[in-house]
Amino acid sequence: MEDLLEQAVHGLTLGSLYAMVATGLALMFGVVRLINFAHGEFYMLGGYAFWFAFREAGLPYPAAAAVAAAAMAVFGLAYERTVIRAILDRTWHVQLIATLATSIVMTNLAIIVFGTQPKEVPTTLSATILQLGGIRLAWHRILVLVAAVVIFGALQWFVARTKTGKAMRAMSQNREACAVVGVDVERVARATFALSAALAGGAAALVSPLFSIFPDVGALLTLKAFAAVIVGGFGYVKGAIAAAFIIGIAESLAAGYVSYAYKDAIGFIVMIAVLLWRPQGLFGRRIGI
Amino acid sequence: MRRIAWTLGALGLVAVPWIVAGVAPGQRRYILHILVLTALWGALALSYDLVVGHVGSLSLAHPAFFGIGAYAAALLATEARWPFAAGLAAAVGLAGLAALAVGVPLFRLTEHSFAMGSLGFAMVTSIVATNWVDFTHGPLCITGIPKPALGPLRIVTLPQFWWLALAAVVLVALLYHGLTTFRLGRAFHAVRDNEGLAAAAGVNALKYRMLAFVIGAALAGGIGALWVGYINVLCPSELAVSVTVNLLVIVFLGGVGSLRGVVAGAVLFTALPEILRVAPTWRLVIYGSLLLVIVVKRPEGLETALRALGRRGARAA
Amino acid sequence: MRILIALLLIALPALPAAAQGLPPVKVGFASAMSGPSAITGEGVRWAGTMLQEEYNAKGGIAGRKLEVYFADNEGTPAGGVSAVRKLADVDKVDVIIGQTHSGACLGALPIVKELRIPQVTESCSNPKIHELIGKNGNEWGFRVNPDDLMLANAFAKSIARGAKSAVIIAQNDDFGRGAEAAYKAAFGKVGVKVLGSEFFDRGQADYRPLLTRVKRTAPEAVLLVMLASDGSVFMRQFRELGLTQKIYARGSLATVEFLHQIRDNPSLGDGIIEATYWSASIDPEWERKWLDRWKVPVRVHGGMAAVTFRYAVVPAIELAAKKYGRVDRQTIRDALTQIDMPNTPVGRIKFDDTNQAYIEMLLIEVRGGQLKILEKVQLQQ
Repeated sequence: MEDLLEQAVHGLTLGSLYAMVATGLALMFGVVRLINFAHGEFYMLGGYAFWFAFREAGLPYPAAAAVAAAAMAVFGLAYERTVIRAILDRTWHVQLIATLATSIVMTNLAIIVFGTQPKEVPTTLSATILQLGGIRLAWHRILVLVAAVVIFGALQWFVARTKTGKAMRAMSQNREACAVVGVDVERVARATFALSAALAGGAAALVSPLFSIFPDVGALLTLKAFAAVIVGGFGYVKGAIAAAFIIGIAESLAAGYVSYAYKDAIGFIVMIAVLLWRPQGLFGRRIGI
Repeated sequence: MRRIAWTLGALGLVAVPWIVAGVAPGQRRYILHILVLTALWGALALSYDLVVGHVGSLSLAHPAFFGIGAYAAALLATEARWPFAAGLAAAVGLAGLAALAVGVPLFRLTEHSFAMGSLGFAMVTSIVATNWVDFTHGPLCITGIPKPALGPLRIVTLPQFWWLALAAVVLVALLYHGLTTFRLGRAFHAVRDNEGLAAAAGVNALKYRMLAFVIGAALAGGIGALWVGYINVLCPSELAVSVTVNLLVIVFLGGVGSLRGVVAGAVLFTALPEILRVAPTWRLVIYGSLLLVIVVKRPEGLETALRALGRRGARAA
Repeated sequence: MRILIALLLIALPALPAAAQGLPPVKVGFASAMSGPSAITGEGVRWAGTMLQEEYNAKGGIAGRKLEVYFADNEGTPAGGVSAVRKLADVDKVDVIIGQTHSGACLGALPIVKELRIPQVTESCSNPKIHELIGKNGNEWGFRVNPDDLMLANAFAKSIARGAKSAVIIAQNDDFGRGAEAAYKAAFGKVGVKVLGSEFFDRGQADYRPLLTRVKRTAPEAVLLVMLASDGSVFMRQFRELGLTQKIYARGSLATVEFLHQIRDNPSLGDGIIEATYWSASIDPEWERKWLDRWKVPVRVHGGMAAVTFRYAVVPAIELAAKKYGRVDRQTIRDALTQIDMPNTPVGRIKFDDTNQAYIEMLLIEVRGGQLKILEKVQLQQ
């Protein structure tokens, strides 16, 4: 029983990671109807930004995390201005392939610039252990979970209470109406991108101390985040978050009780099962983020 | 006039081993090897373009069908000692059947879900190939796959492999041409360009999508069998998602929906690394950038871009 | 006076190549320079670059200038075929060192036989390779490194002294799968009960579900088959979960690379005992030069490529020049079968009739941020 509990706790860390990355994807799809296959690379670059700020520049952890998120927000804006502008009005095939192409470019540039050796960024919290009964976990995992909850709460507030956030929600429900009513569609799109990228960067800053940073880290992450977005109902952020946690926990349980080698298949099997049984996603085809 | 050009072209292709031996005798085996790979990639890309270019379904599952064919042929040849032709037929059949089984549920999905669902299938196939070690040997690879033998004809030397690969790509090209012209081709394109209108006109989109999907998959399986007959070793790496990326580069770089374009894409894709001779990581940066530029500026591909350049040049003259 | 003249006459052949105008000797290095294992190819490429500079500064090999060429095999069988053909036909090398990854090795072997060019493998671990080379059917393939079938019996005996049960945790590639199979068998022979085997994909980061499973199974020891980059993350989580098993390893944990990754907390590695055949400490001068040049800790893949070059290929080239009067693919191949280098950093390099060398297994312990060689075991046929 304790074993089961421990595996579930592992699943929560994984789920938090997938949820943060999937939220960015869901936002982009919900608000701007964009498929971004390079989202995992936002996470990867955010990881390197965090590493640079924390390990190389010696900033304290919270400052380094903020730097990572901010750096990615700026990158997100630049990405929107260059790549996204060009493909926003094209078919989703073009969007998928274009963002896939940028993913290849970013991954290989990272290999050239940072090298293939993974970077590790342990923090005090990731090395300090908390003992809860028979379960041992690094304090940093608690931080990840708490931070994820705070971030989702803040996002919820942002979308419900701020002008830009409300505009995002409106755009995700009916873009044409927004343009008619006078919403600055371009500005909202930019803001969405900055926010999504910042989320990915923040996720990297949060999770990297527990794992490591290397150029290829985004590849599998993108796919799993997509699985979560689909299972949650394309564009429905809360759905994506819930689905991400489901996938994270399912993966941990499968790894612990079935076979560790096959665990990566779990996310895709869940996704395929949902697609077969409820193609509109677990929570139905919701309108809006 | 055109007939002469075609005949000369065909003769030229058949005579490639001698032409290469004459032009670059010291490197002829390497060049022939690259040409064999080019032909096989070209055939594979054509089979992929049937699905992507002509019915407009962005399937990401193609490496899975290539892999199913490859593993079927490899295992039947090494474990059950099946002759090459039988293994090839099995590869084609099994890949086609897999596509049928997977296609039925997949095509019920819309656009993005279809793409992601097909990707999920490709990932699961890759994971199974790597981990079901008792059956597929996993990363320890299947070795000792025999070279193809068609009756008394044994295909062993590079020129023989060239002719086999050439025959394969010509066959696929003919099939591709036949399927994408005439009434069938028009039906495919109707489904791709405006599904609603096509349905209103009585064209069953699902039927045509499945047809292209299954035929494309079966062809991919067959090419998998040829591949393992040539390389004689099969590892799960051949099934990786990166194969899809390569196919997308070839198809979109060359010209999606166009036979000449796809073949040009395959030549560029296989020849470019040899011509460029840059560090492999930079090569991937270049591919990615090219793909991005092409797909954004001119999704029809390089061929259309070159043709436009040519026209502009002719007009200026 | 006569002695002086005699000495001069003896010294004459040692004059640099320029004076004699011999064609250069060309060596090709093939490895995975792109794709998920690109880090290994990088190590090989860096080693080749350093070796070219070093030997040409000394006047070349056997009076001939050294030219080094590289090829990318992408870690796949088709890539291995392409790499060999490029090196042989385009670059026209005389001998190949490669392919680091077993898939590429297996693909390359029939081609080196077809093209009659010798290939000396520095680290392909699939046991099938041994079944294919030398008198087993391919006289053009040679291998310096041992595979786990060869290491397992010796290492298992060592592990049996410390534990009666074990769980094997291996990376999910040819190296890991081959090792797992070999140790499962070897453990059986020495009375260590294998309570389970787990495989993980390289580069993935969350081992905790696996570790919880290990905790539940409660073996006395774990055998880790993994490289430094995964090992450092693994050990952090191992300590996080409070596991106390004895840790044995096959891979690259007892390396400066690993110590560098855990430098924030060196005790993370305490107690790991690794069986390997290459370590930075066996060649401190190489390590120093590497660090100076590339500014990162020395790597095992570069190290083995260098050892293979220095103590197998170079002696073969020199022997070929001396005994046959010319250096080409055939003479190098023939020379390789005859060389006997008893005092290399990895032990004795001499190929038997299966073209396999039997170097030493090192048992290295990690403790307090230091590596200590506990034992050197001569491997048997």
